Amino acid sequence: MKKLGSYKLYAPRKDEDIWNYETIEDSETLVDLDYQNTIVAPKKIIFPQREIFLEFSTSNDNSLEIREVLPDDKPVVIIGLRPCDGRALALMDKVFSGEFKDTYYWKRRDQATLVGLACNTPPSANCFCLTVDGSPHSKEGLDILLTDLGDKFYAESLTEKGDKLLGEAKGLFQDPKPEDKKEVKKIQAESDEKISRQIKNIKNISAKLKEMFDSPFWDEESMFCIRCGICTYLCPTCHCFDINDEVASSSPLKGKRVRTWDTCQFPDFTMHSSGHNPRPDKASRLRQRMFHKFQYFVELYQNFQCTGCGRCISYCPVGIDIIKVLDKVKDYGA
Amino acid sequence: MEHNVYIPKLAKIIQIKEEVDGARPIKTFRTTFLNNNDFVFRCGQCVMLSVFGKGEAMISISSSPVVKDYLQFSILKMGRVTSALHEMEIGDLVGIRGPYGNGFPVEDWKGKNIIFIGGGIGLAPIWSVLQTSLNNKDNYGDLMLIYGARTSKDLVFKGELKDLRNKMPVHLSVDVEEPGWTEFVGFVPQNVLDKKPSPQNAIAITCGPPIMIKFVIKALKDLRFEDEQIYTTVENKMKCGIGKCGRCNIGLHYVCKDGPVYSWAELKKLPQEY
Repeated sequence: MKKLGSYKLYAPRKDEDIWNYETIEDSETLVDLDYQNTIVAPKKIIFPQREIFLEFSTSNDNSLEIREVLPDDKPVVIIGLRPCDGRALALMDKVFSGEFKDTYYWKRRDQATLVGLACNTPPSANCFCLTVDGSPHSKEGLDILLTDLGDKFYAESLTEKGDKLLGEAKGLFQDPKPEDKKEVKKIQAESDEKISRQIKNIKNISAKLKEMFDSPFWDEESMFCIRCGICTYLCPTCHCFDINDEVASSSPLKGKRVRTWDTCQFPDFTMHSSGHNPRPDKASRLRQRMFHKFQYFVELYQNFQCTGCGRCISYCPVGIDIIKVLDKVKDYGA
Repeated sequence: MEHNVYIPKLAKIIQIKEEVDGARPIKTFRTTFLNNNDFVFRCGQCVMLSVFGKGEAMISISSSPVVKDYLQFSILKMGRVTSALHEMEIGDLVGIRGPYGNGFPVEDWKGKNIIFIGGGIGLAPIWSVLQTSLNNKDNYGDLMLIYGARTSKDLVFKGELKDLRNKMPVHLSVDVEEPGWTEFVGFVPQNVLDKKPSPQNAIAITCGPPIMIKFVIKALKDLRFEDEQIYTTVENKMKCGIGKCGRCNIGLHYVCKDGPVYSWAELKKLPQEY
């Protein structure tokens, strides 16, 4: 990894059986890509769980100063993203674009080169990328896609950023042989077959949901929810956030305005200061999560806001299973 | 680097007026920006107002865009930020970013009669349109205000309302009878039915507590207003103001960006989740 010295490197690291993205500080460290998937999605590198927007302080003459705090200028390489997590960033790009571009998000996003790793076998028993228009070798959102060929990786550059990185890593890669390309095709076809959880044809799910807004279905499905928010914190596409002031000293005033991840599954997410709450119960909050991903987002951006990584299923403490919920929605009233 | 939408501009409080005291106090603040004021907004738009160390809150601008010297906000003391605002003094600094939201389509209302219907602090967003239409009186037909609060003490803009009577019909109400009150006693929707504004070539704008809005709309429908003639504003908890933080949505509409102004024709099509 010495070759990439000008970049800040992130890669999956194992710590007590848990894989998560960490910075690789030491250029001698070998990056181990023999992993399933990280618990926390790599969205945390582009959209951190906590980030400072600005600092404020009053000086002796009582004048107030505000200082914009922007992310570092260092280019970043994220190695080993599963294709679902790469696609998730492509979806998040849509949210943070538009009339009001999000300065912080795009500063990090523009500086990052995403090196994906195709899934030869599904990293989780709950993978369902094929159901939501993804695939174990999707290239969307990525700059380079690696495919594990056993004794070597096949690297395909997908963007200018990818070309640049491969150029800088010259010597690590050789030109592929024709049989390598064939092997990649074969592995990709096989990997599609290995995804065990699938629902065929959820194209009409958005229209179906629209009819179910007032259904008692949401009470039934959310009954066991303990509103922990894990489903949204671990989700690679969930982007909801809070903005708060953290005060270090009140006189003279000194503090920071910070953005933190938030979740639609918490009761106070939508609660007015008057106490009125438009989404007052678990049913309305599960409905919001499902509608945001499979109805509102579809109408706004023509995509599901879900890439089928399966984290929300694997880590839900009470077993709420988004595939089962979708399957029931699909057949509801039939 | 492009403009960073999350960085507020500093503004100084130049005037504070106590509108209502007691358990639900309301104050009106006027602010001017410290640096060049290139702030342009439409009636009905809002800003994210910062009290540094406390946070931000979405507040509607109650002054008219024709007023260039200051921005005005009438604020009910309610949560963390508004409570801190109520403690502030003239000369104190706040942060302002925005303006946000769609605003009222006042350009489409030229030549029409406008009936303003407010309850409590709900007069604040209405006040901006009302002042703007008074300022361009030739552009509009007859104007009328129907406004009420719990008690006469809870009415905002008391002095301004007196002056307003010289310019347009003003029908006030209080919820329950009180000594010396000579105008309507009852809820705002009842006053609407009592004054019977005509739907002929008219637009009705209503802001106030959700329950009042609901029954004002019902009253206006009884008076044969079409859905497209009725406008209201929606409030929800907001953090970003730019349709990204994910909490103020009604269906696929982010109220901060796509609202807060809706015609009843638009609003009734959205999920009833607000």
